[in-house]
Amino acid sequence: MVTVSLFSAEASGALSGVTVSFKPDSILVGDRIHCAIGVRHSANDLVSLEGLDSLSASPFELVNRKQSSAVVSPGKRQERFDFELAVFGSGRQPLPRFTVVLRNSQGKVISREPYRPSSAVFVRSLTDSTMRELRPIKPPLKPMIPLLLILPVLLGVFGIAGIVLLLLFLLKRTVRTSAEKVDPGQVAQRKLRKLGSRLSAGMPPPECYEELSNIMRTFLEKHYRIRALEAVTQEIERDLKKLGVAGFESIMNLLAQADLVKFADSRPDAEESRQSLRKAEEVIRSARIPHSPDE
Amino acid sequence: MQHAVELEELGTRITEASRFIQKAEVQLSRRVIGQHDVIRRIFIAMLVNGHILLEGVPGLAKTLIIRTFAAAMNLKFQRIQFTPDMLPADLIGTMIYNPKDLEFYPRKGPVFANVILADEINRSPAKVQSALLEAMQERQVTIGTQTFPLEEPFLVLATQNPIEHEGTYVLPEAQVDRFMMKVLVDYPSYDEELEIMLQSATNAASAPIIPVVQADDIAKARALIDLIYVDPRVQRYIVDLVVASRKPAQYGIASLETMIEFGASPRASIFLLLASKAHAFLQHRAYITPEDVKAIAYDTLRHRIRPGYEAEADNVKPDDIIRQILQHVQVP
Repeated sequence: MVTVSLFSAEASGALSGVTVSFKPDSILVGDRIHCAIGVRHSANDLVSLEGLDSLSASPFELVNRKQSSAVVSPGKRQERFDFELAVFGSGRQPLPRFTVVLRNSQGKVISREPYRPSSAVFVRSLTDSTMRELRPIKPPLKPMIPLLLILPVLLGVFGIAGIVLLLLFLLKRTVRTSAEKVDPGQVAQRKLRKLGSRLSAGMPPPECYEELSNIMRTFLEKHYRIRALEAVTQEIERDLKKLGVAGFESIMNLLAQADLVKFADSRPDAEESRQSLRKAEEVIRSARIPHSPDE
Repeated sequence: MQHAVELEELGTRITEASRFIQKAEVQLSRRVIGQHDVIRRIFIAMLVNGHILLEGVPGLAKTLIIRTFAAAMNLKFQRIQFTPDMLPADLIGTMIYNPKDLEFYPRKGPVFANVILADEINRSPAKVQSALLEAMQERQVTIGTQTFPLEEPFLVLATQNPIEHEGTYVLPEAQVDRFMMKVLVDYPSYDEELEIMLQSATNAASAPIIPVVQADDIAKARALIDLIYVDPRVQRYIVDLVVASRKPAQYGIASLETMIEFGASPRASIFLLLASKAHAFLQHRAYITPEDVKAIAYDTLRHRIRPGYEAEADNVKPDDIIRQILQHVQVP
């Protein structure tokens, strides 16, 4: 902000000082400046400004004006005139001239003082210096939060997030490790034993075969890491062949038998089902025995 | 146990009844090298009254396969080259005026045959395509005021060239849906190519094809196919596959939700079941397993699934979508 004191002597005895302040002092063409003119005078008189309302020929254009008054000391008042001026043209633009008119309580002019502020606004032109359109008012700048204040907060947030991620990672690893520790063969054998007891308790053999097929497929998927639950018997056969699985024939026989029950309406008796369960247990047991590398 | 015995008996009958197919395959192998999958699909379509849309670049023996197939099966063959100036009358026939007796007589078009090769079907305008597709659906043709039933078996194999699209009339989805299968004809393997070259690069006449099929063989086979047992689990598996193409998220394939513009129609379920039955018949089985369904799933579904914009942007083809569906839908 630039403040200029234009008059401080008791010129007419009624005026004790005129100050002009404006901001900013450097703008782009079409931008606005805010100009405040303060006139200190005797409390009995009335003050008005002339010359700023008709600026159409000058590079300045009046956009808005406001006037306020305040008592500064006994018998003295200060009139404040706020102008919003749009500035056009380019280069150094001296502030516009104005006249302070003082009237007595009857309205008679007792003094008319012209002023020419020495300060100027520097206008940076854009591509077209003849432009006379107002530029939009810039949004008010948000107060900057000091970095030193944000930094500890940010560090705290990142720290907490890091700890949470680490905990999640450790939890996931623990779950995975414990899941890997569960032997699919052991699980399958337990399920087969349960199935055997259910069969003895009167479970229909076709249901037993369906369950047997599911147990075998789950075991194959987990033990040999092949896609068995969404695969047909032929696909399982192909995958197991590639892996050179021990007991391949028995596995395929079991699956084929289960397929016959499931899809060809084959009705085995309870004894056949028991035999198949025993065969399945054998296959799983033999698959769990680790083979030596030279085998 | 009674049903299982019946199925075993049916299996024996199927083995007997499907012998003519092995004989025909032997005849085909005398002229056609490789393309076993295409030949199998043609047999499947013939056994369940379906039609096939063949897609492949020129020179892959499409015409040779079909011509040889018709000859081995003792069926009347017609090749119709579809062109932009073709009219429906060129296909189905027209009424001819006889000045001697002042009467109009129907002259039957080339569609009156058992095996039709509709070559480059997308070269003809919609009205000609519709005439053929109507004949395929209704199995009868109306010339003037007279309606003529088409001969049985009636099998249409339409070809489309996947490379050239200029000056073609793309078959609308509703028309494509009428084809039971869309079979992609691929290049032969290295060894097959070598054999083709040695066999064809000669001036000697090709090996003669002996018709090996009796008149009622196909009808008998069709009757047995109707008896093939389909367990409710397999029925549900077929429906699951088709519904998964419409609502993939329900089957744990949410990633496909945006990839599919529209899924397979109920015709897909019907044809999937029919084709699976025929596939089981060719394996001499009296029941369907999920293997049969999976074996023909690509051919039956690929032209019924329209990939969305996202799939096209990612170069995801219908076959990729079907692969994902088959991998995620649990097999019974």
